[in-house]
Amino acid sequence: MSGWFCPEVLLVLAGVALILADSLVADGRKGWLPKLALVISFALLGWTFWGAGQPMPTSWGNLFVTDGLSLVFQPFFVLCLVGVTFMSVRYPMGKEEVVRAEFLALPFFSTAGLCLLASARDFLAIFVALELVAISLYLLAAFHRSRAASLEAGMKLLVMGGLSTGFLVMGIAWLYAATGSTDFSKILLDQAGRPASLAFLLAVGLILTGLAFKIAAVPFHAWAPDVYEGAPTPITSFLAIASKAAGFVLLLRVFGLGAFALDSVAVVFRPVLLTLGIATVTLGTLAALPQRNLKRYLAYSGIAHAGYMLLAFGTLGEAGMGTLVGYLWVYLLSSFPVFIFILEMERVHGSADLRHLDGLGQRDPGVALGLALCFLSMAGLPPLLGFSAKLSVFTTLWNAGEVPGLVVGVVMAVVGLGFYLMPIRAMYWEREADSIPAQRFPSFLVWILLLAGFFQLLLGLQPRPLVRLVERSLAPTSSSLFPEK
Amino acid sequence: MAGRGSPMILSYSLPCLLGLPLLGVVAIALGAPARRTALWVSVLNCVPAFLAFGVVLRQGEILFGPEVTSIREVFPVQFRLAMDGLSLPLVLLTLVVTLSAVGVARAEVKRAKEYFLCLLLIGLGALGAFLSVDLFYFFSFHEVALIPSFLLIGIWGQGDRTGAAWRMTLYLMLGSLILLLGLIGLVWSAPETARTLDWRVLSETLRANPIRAENQFWLAGLLLVGFGTLVSLVPFHSWAPGGYASAPAPAAMLHAGVLKKFGLYGLLRLALPMTPLGWKEISWIIGVMLAANILYLGFASLAQRDFRWLLGFSSAMHMGTVFLGLIGGTVLGLGGALVLMVGHGFSAALGFAVAGEIGNRTGTTWMQDLGGLAQRAPKLWFYLLVAGMASIGLPGMANFAGEIMIFFGAWSAHPVLVGIGAWGVVLSSIAMLRAIRGISTGACTAALVTHQTADLNGVKEVWPFALLTFFLFAIGFIPNLILGPARPVLERILQP
Repeated sequence: MSGWFCPEVLLVLAGVALILADSLVADGRKGWLPKLALVISFALLGWTFWGAGQPMPTSWGNLFVTDGLSLVFQPFFVLCLVGVTFMSVRYPMGKEEVVRAEFLALPFFSTAGLCLLASARDFLAIFVALELVAISLYLLAAFHRSRAASLEAGMKLLVMGGLSTGFLVMGIAWLYAATGSTDFSKILLDQAGRPASLAFLLAVGLILTGLAFKIAAVPFHAWAPDVYEGAPTPITSFLAIASKAAGFVLLLRVFGLGAFALDSVAVVFRPVLLTLGIATVTLGTLAALPQRNLKRYLAYSGIAHAGYMLLAFGTLGEAGMGTLVGYLWVYLLSSFPVFIFILEMERVHGSADLRHLDGLGQRDPGVALGLALCFLSMAGLPPLLGFSAKLSVFTTLWNAGEVPGLVVGVVMAVVGLGFYLMPIRAMYWEREADSIPAQRFPSFLVWILLLAGFFQLLLGLQPRPLVRLVERSLAPTSSSLFPEK
Repeated sequence: MAGRGSPMILSYSLPCLLGLPLLGVVAIALGAPARRTALWVSVLNCVPAFLAFGVVLRQGEILFGPEVTSIREVFPVQFRLAMDGLSLPLVLLTLVVTLSAVGVARAEVKRAKEYFLCLLLIGLGALGAFLSVDLFYFFSFHEVALIPSFLLIGIWGQGDRTGAAWRMTLYLMLGSLILLLGLIGLVWSAPETARTLDWRVLSETLRANPIRAENQFWLAGLLLVGFGTLVSLVPFHSWAPGGYASAPAPAAMLHAGVLKKFGLYGLLRLALPMTPLGWKEISWIIGVMLAANILYLGFASLAQRDFRWLLGFSSAMHMGTVFLGLIGGTVLGLGGALVLMVGHGFSAALGFAVAGEIGNRTGTTWMQDLGGLAQRAPKLWFYLLVAGMASIGLPGMANFAGEIMIFFGAWSAHPVLVGIGAWGVVLSSIAMLRAIRGISTGACTAALVTHQTADLNGVKEVWPFALLTFFLFAIGFIPNLILGPARPVLERILQP
């Protein structure tokens, strides 16, 4: 089969098809468009899991590579797309505005960019793919035009995203000046075995800064809570999970496997990455404590998670990279259900305020149980899935001898339990809220959350599938996620 | 894998021990009558327990689970269970205390479903921790109890329940994570080809290839701080008295009686055999800490005006004596520590149960408001007396057997600390006797006079108390019930 059937191409085609369908169908008959988008995204998910593994067309000038990392993260991003599409279908846009096809189609383009990012092996490709992701997201964040907060979120994302791209482009320019190439392997060959020049280090630093914005690492995190709160919830989840993961995948690509996998870089940037990690964990955890809005709360929780991932990755060893890959999957599995819940909560209560959780344990025991398991998994409580991730981070730091990171990580994990217990406390301790909403949660929500909670438990006790995924992701070449044995 | 000679089928009694409470949890969650289900599960759980006990008494141990694998496997965690002479008494303690805690709990408590669910989960966590051989499960099972205790104190507690619940949960989490670091350190100290998560294999490996002395020092320190926090060793104790005072009686029984022993069990299982040099090196630090436990908490218990707080302090205080047994360096001392762990488990549970009943009947546990219990409620008073005397260390009770063995065992190594330990007996006598006098004599509390059933009402209220008392006396008179099977294990711990 030809390589043109790779997920990236199919995603773009699907996005175009959705827009075309929207413009061709009469206004009154568009009810099936969201369902179509959902079906397509599910089909693509299946394709990335079982059908993909086609090498990229060679005519694309050596810009992309199909290896373990891209194979493991294409399904990751498409899974995010499925979630976002599912949530977009239910997003209450308001009476005057129907859910428009762009709202459904743009995530497809964005996901195509994400998948390209996962397989990029040239800084030009990275730049183009990153812009494809970012520009779609600017539009999506501001999509709910009748809400000022949404417009503000879009504006903030645009400005901060532009700034981060600026850093990135500047870094790429310096890199080209220092090495004469933007190709990963050429840079690697050029720089191997000799001390890094100042220009090269500057380039690495600028590129790292650009990526630090994407993963919302402290001190480049300030945009995240505002944007998360203002953006439509499906887009918030996409930003919080897919976009953050993209930043980390790039870190893996660039620092772990690709251009900057050099001792001369590691000497300088290992302490930088670890310091970033320590700052990010600390601020993310402490700033989450006073939050009363679930979306902001999750934003800070995401910042804290990013800190743990940075701590593990900052050791710049294979164990750290594996931990990062596994942690990203754990993050996806434990936080996406919560975003789905937030969307339903906004439908029922009108806002994502934490006080709407009061008494949920008695009102809706199934939903509360699933949510509690997800939150406890994020807190890293055994035997849930998040514990494996945290354990892996701690083991990595222990073996690398990084005592400061280890101490901060442990202390913040305790504080973290404190803030993940807040919603649990609200659900189970607090009295019934003053006004019980007339509207109930839809019944599918119970099943989604219980299933998610069950997965936290099951994979926590037996994370072997995830460990296999991690192993595959770091393999240099790979033909399929599920090799025939 | 059953041990030599015993039928394979008997080894399944171990997973049954965990499966039954789990089944109970699911049944209650799905709507079965909460108290009755919890009670039935706790009673039925004695059947696999007795089968397993039988095998342990005959063969020394019982195993369940797949063969051990190296940590180089993709995912090295395995569900392996074992019981030997050291875990047997603790499993027995867990079963009995869980049963009586469920027995003491009232069916008409608010939100009964969640209440009994949480109680069963705590018991399940403790059982799992005592039975697990794999360090992952060993650690995880203990953590399972964390959230139920948080909810139990938070929803059904009294006094400063919010503060107590937060303090206890976060404190224990910190202790657990420090412990986790210690466990990571232990596993990675083994030679690369022999790393495993199975503590039985790991301790043999580390015996053959001892860890470097200075590393042992740090690892023993991490384990001491981690486990010590869970045991409420001064200065990591401040969660304990308030937490117990605020918890509803069954939760306090399970926590003070059973869960706390996990820390001591861990030290016996891991720290002593795996880091013997480090343990010797830090034993003077432990000595200072345990002296503080006995003296500081002993004097603090004298100052308490609330019976629950008094019990909380005295329960934390007695942990100092157990630590004295652990650093004594003799089999006698370790045996004493084990007996005192179990005895203290029963007596603390009995004490909190009595305090809970007094609180239920009078609405207060402030000692100055109480009085006349002996006159109005002689049965309750009797059990108050038993709990108090056990806590003081009256001969005939399990606590006395443990303490005397600890004092003899530690005498040659730490005579000064033994003196302090004896002083601790005096302190706890003063505190307890004053409390008993205040509660049982004097003018009768108004609430007791008007209360319909001031005393324990018939067998259905008495049996949990009688059960605990029976074991206190049984072990007190025949400590060899525990020590016989445990002796080889304890001897192995001290072997170089």
